[in-house]
Amino acid sequence: MFLKHSQIAPALASRLLTAAEAAARAIPPAFPLEATVAVNPFLGQAAMDLAQASARLARVGGVGLTRPRADLAAQVQAGAISDDDLAEALIACASPLKPADLAMLKARMQGAAPTPKALPTVAELAAQASGTDWPVLIERSFGLWAAGHFDRGQALWTPRPGMGAFAAWREWAIHDLTPEIAGLDGFCAHVAQAPDTADRAIVRAADRLGLTEAAAEGVFHRLLVDLGGWPMHARWLLWQAELRGTTDTTLTDLLAIRLIWDEALLAHCPAIRSDWQATVAAHAAPVLPSPDQVLDSILQEAAERAHQRQLAARLTGPAPRAGRARLQAAFCIDVRSEILRRALEGQDGGIETLGFAGFFGLPVAHRPTGTDEAQAHLPALLVPAMSSTSHQEPAQEAATRINARARRAWGRFRQAAVSSFAFVEAAGPAYGGKLIRDALGLGAGPAAPQPMPRLDPGLTAAQKAQTAAAILRAMSLTTGHARLVLLIGHGAQVTNNPHESAYHCGACCGQTGEVSARLLAALLNDPQTRTGLAALGLALPADTLFVAGLHDTVTDTVLLYRDQPSPDHAADLNQAQRWLAAAGQQARAERARLLPSARANTLARRASDWAEVRPEWGLAGCGAFIAAPRTVTAGRDLQGRAFLHSYDWTQDTGFATLELILTAPVIVASWISLQYFGSTVAPEVFGGGNKLIHNVVGGIGVVEGNGGRLRPGLPWQSVHDGTRPMHEALRLSVLIEAPLDPITDILRRHAQVRQLVDNGWLHLLALKNGQIAARYRAGLTWDQAGTPMPSAA
Amino acid sequence: MLTLPLIALSPLVLAGAALPLALRPGRRPGRLPALAEGAALASLALAVLGVGQLVLSGPHTLWLAGSAIVRLDAVSATLALLVSFLGWVVLRYSRRYLDGETREGWFGCLTLLAIAAVLVLVQAASLPVMVAAFAITGGLLRQLLLFYPDRPAAQRAAAKFTRSWVAGDLALALATVLVWHGLGTTRIADLAQVPALDGAGHLAVALLVLAAALKTAAFPLHGWLTEVMEAPTPVSALLHAGIINAGGVLLITLSGLVQHSAGAMAALVVLGGFTALFGALVMLTQSAVKTALAWSTIAQMGFMLLQCGLGLWALALLHIVAHSLYKAHAFLSSGGAVREVNAVRKPGAVAIPGVGAVARSFALALALYVVVAAGFTVLVGAKSPQALALGTMLIFGVSYLIAQGLADAAPGALTRRTVGASLAAALAYFSFQVLAQIVWGPMLPPAPTAGALEWALIVLAVLSFGLVAFAQALFPLWAHHPSTAGLRVHLANGLYLNALLDRMIGGFRMSPNS
Repeated sequence: MFLKHSQIAPALASRLLTAAEAAARAIPPAFPLEATVAVNPFLGQAAMDLAQASARLARVGGVGLTRPRADLAAQVQAGAISDDDLAEALIACASPLKPADLAMLKARMQGAAPTPKALPTVAELAAQASGTDWPVLIERSFGLWAAGHFDRGQALWTPRPGMGAFAAWREWAIHDLTPEIAGLDGFCAHVAQAPDTADRAIVRAADRLGLTEAAAEGVFHRLLVDLGGWPMHARWLLWQAELRGTTDTTLTDLLAIRLIWDEALLAHCPAIRSDWQATVAAHAAPVLPSPDQVLDSILQEAAERAHQRQLAARLTGPAPRAGRARLQAAFCIDVRSEILRRALEGQDGGIETLGFAGFFGLPVAHRPTGTDEAQAHLPALLVPAMSSTSHQEPAQEAATRINARARRAWGRFRQAAVSSFAFVEAAGPAYGGKLIRDALGLGAGPAAPQPMPRLDPGLTAAQKAQTAAAILRAMSLTTGHARLVLLIGHGAQVTNNPHESAYHCGACCGQTGEVSARLLAALLNDPQTRTGLAALGLALPADTLFVAGLHDTVTDTVLLYRDQPSPDHAADLNQAQRWLAAAGQQARAERARLLPSARANTLARRASDWAEVRPEWGLAGCGAFIAAPRTVTAGRDLQGRAFLHSYDWTQDTGFATLELILTAPVIVASWISLQYFGSTVAPEVFGGGNKLIHNVVGGIGVVEGNGGRLRPGLPWQSVHDGTRPMHEALRLSVLIEAPLDPITDILRRHAQVRQLVDNGWLHLLALKNGQIAARYRAGLTWDQAGTPMPSAA
Repeated sequence: MLTLPLIALSPLVLAGAALPLALRPGRRPGRLPALAEGAALASLALAVLGVGQLVLSGPHTLWLAGSAIVRLDAVSATLALLVSFLGWVVLRYSRRYLDGETREGWFGCLTLLAIAAVLVLVQAASLPVMVAAFAITGGLLRQLLLFYPDRPAAQRAAAKFTRSWVAGDLALALATVLVWHGLGTTRIADLAQVPALDGAGHLAVALLVLAAALKTAAFPLHGWLTEVMEAPTPVSALLHAGIINAGGVLLITLSGLVQHSAGAMAALVVLGGFTALFGALVMLTQSAVKTALAWSTIAQMGFMLLQCGLGLWALALLHIVAHSLYKAHAFLSSGGAVREVNAVRKPGAVAIPGVGAVARSFALALALYVVVAAGFTVLVGAKSPQALALGTMLIFGVSYLIAQGLADAAPGALTRRTVGASLAAALAYFSFQVLAQIVWGPMLPPAPTAGALEWALIVLAVLSFGLVAFAQALFPLWAHHPSTAGLRVHLANGLYLNALLDRMIGGFRMSPNS
């Protein structure tokens, strides 16, 4: 033998690296808190169904993916889930492990569900054997490094920029004495002697850990989950890189780092070798759901069917309307708009509202005043195709920046080593005033409107008309325009809340909808656009004015941006303001019932209270997505739980708009619902933890207390009011008013969307005349009135 | 003559409000959180009245059964006002923040009692009262740190805190015995009049310094303070703005005694100065906002000990007040860090000053200092060498502000803004210092006449602060140099002292819960 033992065959090495890549892609991205959007935490498990994903995540994360069995059983007892729901869910389940009949299902439902337990890591086995808490030590030591490496400006002294994660960590770890102080002798030397690239380190560690090809992906996934949110942040870096057409290796670098730890610990603790071999063998076994996981997924499905049944009872057919509307208002599809839309329509029979994704179809990267950094204002799935700016005149712009830089210099004065003492002596007493101001909530107020945004570079006359036409068609807003059409984005005014952007508009990538709404209003009011639209056969009435607005989802007030002077519409605008004010009052009364310690007239205070951890409920409760004309849902109380997208298939030539809806807003909505789902059913892995002990790290995320584990996802306080969960974990029910064939066609063409519906990550139901008429089944088939119907394809 | 200092009633008011909360320790205890805030406001009002009482009728002592319990003087009134004010802010914050927590009522109860205990501590008229207040404060804080009792990290932090705090309590108790034995009194007013110390007295002062160092998280036993963000944010605010000051309060209250020991004063200068620079350097490397704030507290407390060691007692008290207000706000508003961090990046790259710019900024800052100091000398009289040295150290810090504006790439408008801010900062702290001297100076001993030892320490302190300030201004030029990578790692780990302590006390062992 002239090969050394550690030089494993190239073919195996390449398969191990494939397993590493697969494990990396099993991790969902976590967007930084500066502009966070909901991501499906099971993105990497979309090819599995719920029971199988549950089995996988039980093994690698120790979590279950269904609501607690006892809760669901209690709902059956209480009658909220009917026997029909259970029977339908049972029939729909394709697993051979399912209970034989309803009686058995109900009998087994009463038994206790086993607590999922992750397979141990080497660190956990070593901890049991040696008594030293290696997992905590790794969390702390790795977390301290990662916090510095991914820091976006908290610390003044960050690590040397421009190094890859693996190289940077090696530089850190060969100096960090903590592991050796804790008893892991020779760790610095171990790191120094480790291979100099992540790939080689992964292959060597896999060899030394005795990983078989079959076990590798499971072990790798387990280790990435063990690092908490950091790999999810790295997955976001990869996501961003792939949107730009490049790639990023941070995620596999993190895996290599974690493997080097376990490699060292196994050598340090040889006594655990046989336990570890058994663990590797367990990882090599195929991931199959247990009968319990199948049972729980049936109960979960039954709860979703119960929700659909309640929805069906409300959807009894369209309420027709006629005549030119007195006011039209387009809102974001966000579930929080539903309450305000219903309240606004209730003010006058002539008010019509529409739902459309809050970026209003303009895929812009926006540069606000005072910075050259561009922010994405579009769904996270898309790449910006336009750019816009709110930069002011050069002199004003320069003054804005000098102000910001002077403030920054003062901030560095406060933070730097010796000057921090001078800062405290000079400015400390002034903080007494700030304490009074903030304790009384006097400092915060609604964000001032930005300087008027504009597309930069601007569009040609032809582009303006084409863009406007495409957007109006996508909104199903091609005829019957009122004199005044409001385009209302949304944002949440909160104070001192690290998760602020999670309350903003998901369709605007965690920003408020202000920029998008104002840009579109300006585009649609532009005379060049109007002329071009007429030429495209989409003439708008000359007296129609578009006005942008921003719905503050904490206070339910709507700010209208009167960017375009139009004296003719003064009366219309004043009337609209009055209606919006009255609707806001009604919406506050409705929302206050669900918020703890709230009354309708105190909601506004939550926006400026620096101690408020539940300013509003965000999208908690979201359960359905309805794409249909508003007449189908108007006047029905959907309890702020439904995304409402206006869609009229009769106007949709070639079903291009339907395709857009199924591939963008439906996906975004399902991600949101699954993020709430994950944060509720598996908060240890996918939830953001306890807000009361949050410690913001690097400006990108939070850890709990003194911990080193980044916590992405929604905090516990965002889904729980203290006594009960405020989000009922349900997979999204998507209801679309359209013929079945075009839907089937679109699913056939879009494998990703089809995967989500085929594997049950969302339910797809078709509406006909405003009533549920068919349910999608896996394999491009539909159930109509209870009988399976082959799709006419 | 009125013999009851009104502020003495505030602990009773707070404890009274804590009682019903103890009976309803669970979630959403009705209107009791509002009652707690009301009690805090009442306590604040009593403190304000107490200040009025002090102004109108001078210092008081409350005697009970022949023992001095609490006192009213300029120091105690200031601290009681500060603690009541922060207590109100913290309780008001907790009312919303803790809403819906399983042990919401219990949290309110503990917080009220902790504030009450600190109020007793700062007003204590004799050492035994102080010892008891210290012990009770520690016990309550321990319960607050264990607010989430199942978190292993919280258990570790609480264990570490308890060891340090109790060790401080023991040192203080022993000092009390020695003082009582040697001087025959433990009344603070009497101790201020002691003309000189015998051997036991020196030992007692050494123990007092030890207790203060432990309680202000001074190097090398600072580890506990960096881990205690395991409890809800208001606890951190209370701890970093209130309780952590107790060590300083101890020294200032007993300054008459402490200043008799030149060795103790020298130890404070060395320990405080080193802790200040050490903590401030570690702070630079911390990427988690609360952790960075904790290291900042360690540094600021070190600076306060340095001021004590220089005999600048009034300025140390000023530092306590200023730092408490700043740090309470910093913790309570730490949720804004996401917005703040990202706002910092927006205006583009930071202009980096070169060596020349830094040298100019130092010259400018020193010139500024000479002018301002001369002005103040003309107005309010000559300053001690210690005060002048302290001013120099502070002006080194200001030079950093100027340096940022003098960087070659910085536009003129920015330079004017930073120089203006520097001038404002210099004027502000000299004014505050004058004010501190007027309010508290008369009842605190003046800085000792500087002998050889004092001068040596002054020079050492000024030089080391100057050196670090110079390095800090040139920071971008060397911070990312490969040769400093190791230094950064060691500093980010706080020079491993906490890890060593963990190893000694079993902090790396598996927690029984995990």
